[in-house]
Amino acid sequence: MAKIKVFSTSSCPYCVTLKEYLKEHNIEFEDIDVSQDSAAQKEMIEKSGQMGVPVADINGEIVVGFDKEKISKLLNIGD
Amino acid sequence: MVYDLIIIGGGPAGITAGIYAARKKINTLLVTKEFGGQVNKGHEIMNYPGITMTMGVDLMKKFVEHLKNFDIEIKEGKNVREIQRAVQEFNIILENGEQFQGRAIIIASGKNPRPLKVPGEEKFVGKGVTYCSICDTPLFKGKDVAVIGGGNAGLDAAMDLTKYANKIYVLEFMEKMLGDESTQEKLRASGKVEMITNVATKEFKGDKLLESLVYEDKKSGEMKELKVQGVFVEIGYVPSSGFIKDLVEFNKAGEIIINPQGNNTKTPGVFAAGDVTDIPYKQIVIACAEGAKAALSAYNYLQNK
Repeated sequence: MAKIKVFSTSSCPYCVTLKEYLKEHNIEFEDIDVSQDSAAQKEMIEKSGQMGVPVADINGEIVVGFDKEKISKLLNIGD
Repeated sequence: MVYDLIIIGGGPAGITAGIYAARKKINTLLVTKEFGGQVNKGHEIMNYPGITMTMGVDLMKKFVEHLKNFDIEIKEGKNVREIQRAVQEFNIILENGEQFQGRAIIIASGKNPRPLKVPGEEKFVGKGVTYCSICDTPLFKGKDVAVIGGGNAGLDAAMDLTKYANKIYVLEFMEKMLGDESTQEKLRASGKVEMITNVATKEFKGDKLLESLVYEDKKSGEMKELKVQGVFVEIGYVPSSGFIKDLVEFNKAGEIIINPQGNNTKTPGVFAAGDVTDIPYKQIVIACAEGAKAALSAYNYLQNK
């Protein structure tokens, strides 16, 4: 089972899209609101080298934004 | 495979064109970088008939659900690099090299945020510089930030930021703030906002992340530096039309010139709709209507071809 963290904020459209996409495919993830957790925001910036959300950490692979192709590949989701 | 129609764009114009084309049973492909476009980045929407109040992203979700209800092929997450005219049809080349052929084309690629084009801007995109205030304001809790642009979009961004940021500078190129006086009053009342007019943003600086911006006081010519961790660029939008080249004509603003009767461009078979065109009043409801018109015109064109 993949270990997935999603760094996001409540207001960002692509965060919602990304989380819904994971839920649609019954994939469990840890949902982290970086606007409420500055340590997590720091972790996200260090891992991704930037501060935009969403960022997904999939078994250590960092995906910035809702990059559907990359995410589906890492999680073996077929359309 | 040759499609009857290829729609480029997944905002209100492109989606509505897709719905109308599907209902006319036109064999259609819709290619888009993303669904929703500018509307996703908008705040509350209160002027779309039948829906008293909604968030842009929620409205666009409904649009996409509606579209996917029909039999239409969709390529999402794809940028178009070029459109070429072939003998019988048009050839659409994507940035990843994929190619598709269409007998007719609707360009509904909308607009993108206008960049400042100053040194450091590109380097710090996503590292402090952002064009989507609704996406990114919560990331700047307790930080010092600047908004570039004193129009309504800039003032709305500043208003959002008052919930999170420590200090907010609003920089305006003109001598006066252009946004609504009522919002300006609210910003002043917050005690967090400093409005600076008659200034030109010159440079963004920092190591890995943004640390400061440099601006010129246009009156004195003096350069000043502001320590900020975030900059929200809100200076309007430019048409996303770079991939089209000589198949259509553009006005000075870079918008595609269309015949408003049928959304035709100078090339038979190439139609355009929505914010990428020279039709005035950039509104969701207008983009939808233009998308519908373009699809119906394309249908007529295909029938008579």
